Amino acid sequence: MVVTTTWYLVLAAVLFSMGSVGLLTRRNPLVMFMCVELMLNAVNLTFVSLGADLGDLGGQLSVFFVLVVAAAEVVVGLAVIVAIMRRRPGATADDLSVLGG
Amino acid sequence: MLAVATPEVLWWALLPVLFLSVGGLLLLTVASLVRRLPDWLPQAWTVVTGLAVLVACVPMWCEVRDEGPRTTLAGSVAVDGSTVLVTAVLAAVVVAVALLARPYLRREDLPGVEVYVLLMLSAAGGVVMASADDLIVLFLGLEILSIAVYVLAALHLRRIESQEGAMKYFVLGAFASAFLLYGMALVYGATGSTRLALVAEHLSATVLVDDSMLLAGIALLLVGLAFKVAAVPFHAWTPDVYQGSPTPVVAWMAAGVKAAGFAAMVRVLVTSLGTHASDWAPPVGVLAVASVLVGAVVAVLQTDVRRMLAYSSVAHAGFLLLGVQAADADGTAAVYAYLVVYALLATGSFAVLTVMGGDGDAAHHLDDYRGLARRRPVLAGAFTLLLLGQAGVPFTGGFVAKLGVLAAAVADRGYWVAGLAMLGAAAAAFVYLRILVSMYLEDPDAEAADGSTGPAVPLGARVVIGVACAGVLFVGLVPGPLLDLARDAVPVLVGS
Amino acid sequence: MLGQYLPVVVLLILAFLFAALSFVASRLLAPRRPHDRKAAPYECGIIPGRETPERFPVRFFLVAMIFIVFDIEIVFLYPWAVAHGGLGLFGLVAVLLFSLAVFESFVYLIGNGALEWGPVRRVRHAVSPARTSTSTIRRAGVREVGLEGRTIGDESGRAA
Repeated sequence: MVVTTTWYLVLAAVLFSMGSVGLLTRRNPLVMFMCVELMLNAVNLTFVSLGADLGDLGGQLSVFFVLVVAAAEVVVGLAVIVAIMRRRPGATADDLSVLGG
Repeated sequence: MLAVATPEVLWWALLPVLFLSVGGLLLLTVASLVRRLPDWLPQAWTVVTGLAVLVACVPMWCEVRDEGPRTTLAGSVAVDGSTVLVTAVLAAVVVAVALLARPYLRREDLPGVEVYVLLMLSAAGGVVMASADDLIVLFLGLEILSIAVYVLAALHLRRIESQEGAMKYFVLGAFASAFLLYGMALVYGATGSTRLALVAEHLSATVLVDDSMLLAGIALLLVGLAFKVAAVPFHAWTPDVYQGSPTPVVAWMAAGVKAAGFAAMVRVLVTSLGTHASDWAPPVGVLAVASVLVGAVVAVLQTDVRRMLAYSSVAHAGFLLLGVQAADADGTAAVYAYLVVYALLATGSFAVLTVMGGDGDAAHHLDDYRGLARRRPVLAGAFTLLLLGQAGVPFTGGFVAKLGVLAAAVADRGYWVAGLAMLGAAAAAFVYLRILVSMYLEDPDAEAADGSTGPAVPLGARVVIGVACAGVLFVGLVPGPLLDLARDAVPVLVGS
Repeated sequence: MLGQYLPVVVLLILAFLFAALSFVASRLLAPRRPHDRKAAPYECGIIPGRETPERFPVRFFLVAMIFIVFDIEIVFLYPWAVAHGGLGLFGLVAVLLFSLAVFESFVYLIGNGALEWGPVRRVRHAVSPARTSTSTIRRAGVREVGLEGRTIGDESGRAA
């Protein structure tokens, strides 16, 4: 059996969906961050496999930038969590309900 | 050894980004090395940087108008009217927010330098986003803008609402970014390039046998962008974040982030994917109508003025989308005119809110505005003008802006969309009326009535509110110059 | 033009109808006899106590976060190191500027004492000036001693 580009794309789509569903249903902020990472890395997989399919370096190049952005995003997210945890140990996303939404 | 061709760089075209990012980094370095920085320095530095960017925009505008638009850095950054106009708007908002921030920070006893640094870096991201001619560059700009704003939203250290709002903003923002990026990946797969000019070229030259990947990509791009500009049904974060964040930061979110977001949206959808407008225009129309109606109706139910203005900003996003869904040069010009007017209205309104917030940034209930006209007639008058502008009353800039997008929608035979949007505008007028009634017709509270005139208005806020009001009136009475400017700002794709 | 969205709209309506019907049907058919014990998160008869106290090593987190930033810098330096001959002066200047920008954040960290491992410095702005040591102790005391750590109805264990 030959593994074609389509397989990788489907795998990436599945990973992306898992990430997005996890982000919406999980309540632990750290797990939510992991879901964001999963989504971004699914996109990375898409970029790389499409780039290989097209014979274009652009796809691989994009991954660098996405990696950097993902790291920066997680650092900022963790910083916000640390700020919340200092005031409210053991908070989950449901406890964040001072505001109406 | 393999020699790599290095891209040609038009340095004058990158000046705004350089000013903002180098200005931010320099301020950060100086603030970390020098223990006791004079109180006024960070603000003055930010204002000077913003003004420098504004000044740099003038020769850029003339150059673009005389020599035509072009791209630089191997076709990844566009230098055209759109870039220059949005850059100027962002720089002006940076100056305004910096003026508002210092009295606010002193009142709330918050540490000072980070706000200004993040503001400048975020503005640099916005400029990159507005001038991106490549999907990846657009993503980078968006993230520089957003990540800085996440931190800004959390910056009021003692209000748990601030951190909660930042957390919600962060989670939903990251979610939206991932969708946007996935859309970019699929568009790249369908067209073979991330450069907008090449995408457009490919789409007009070839007929795709199977365009499902492209359509999925466009849909995901749309979701991601709709999250960023807070269109219904992707608006859930807006009221919470607007209520929780420090009020000067909200001014930046409302005016700056929205301007950059719509500039990017117009460039990607209208300019680059214009050949597929029949695919994306109907959903954008639905988003527009939903945003206008939901934004207007839900705003009526709020009692917190910041939440009211948050929902009304959702309605404004709907009107802007109305111009986008027309998918032609007139619609785009209307969007740019609306963006300029909205930047004035939003900055001015949130400047009033910053002043009214009082100690702890908490006095934002509708009752806190009762009888304001008797206590502070000038402030109430300015707020009245800004609210009337937001409602789109004739002889204010808001009327010109709304008329522009509605005309563009009608010209595109979007009668249904335009009609429903007008209905929404009428409903939204009721929201502003509620605040006005509270300010003029209701008596102030007993405690406020005995002699105290309410909060003092700092000089910076006075300047911002005054300029915003003057601008709104000027555009309302003499709309010609703005409309010409907006028509010149329609983005153009320049091939390699 | 709009016709192609018809299947999506139909599917959307069907999905909403199905979900709504399912809820209505279960509400109509299922017997409902709720009481406190059944409504508890764990329906096992044991009243849930407060959450296990966890140590939250903020300092380690900080260092890990700082590490990520410099880790990412390396991601860009490796490709440059491989191709620096071809890139020439342009590449060198670009990488220098990039490193400078990242190093700048290091200066900020040092300047703010983020890497000091000594006794914890008080962050001046993090705590409200109205909060004193007595108010904190009294609040904590009521919860810990008065209810022996079992705060029924306040599972998250946060101070009221």
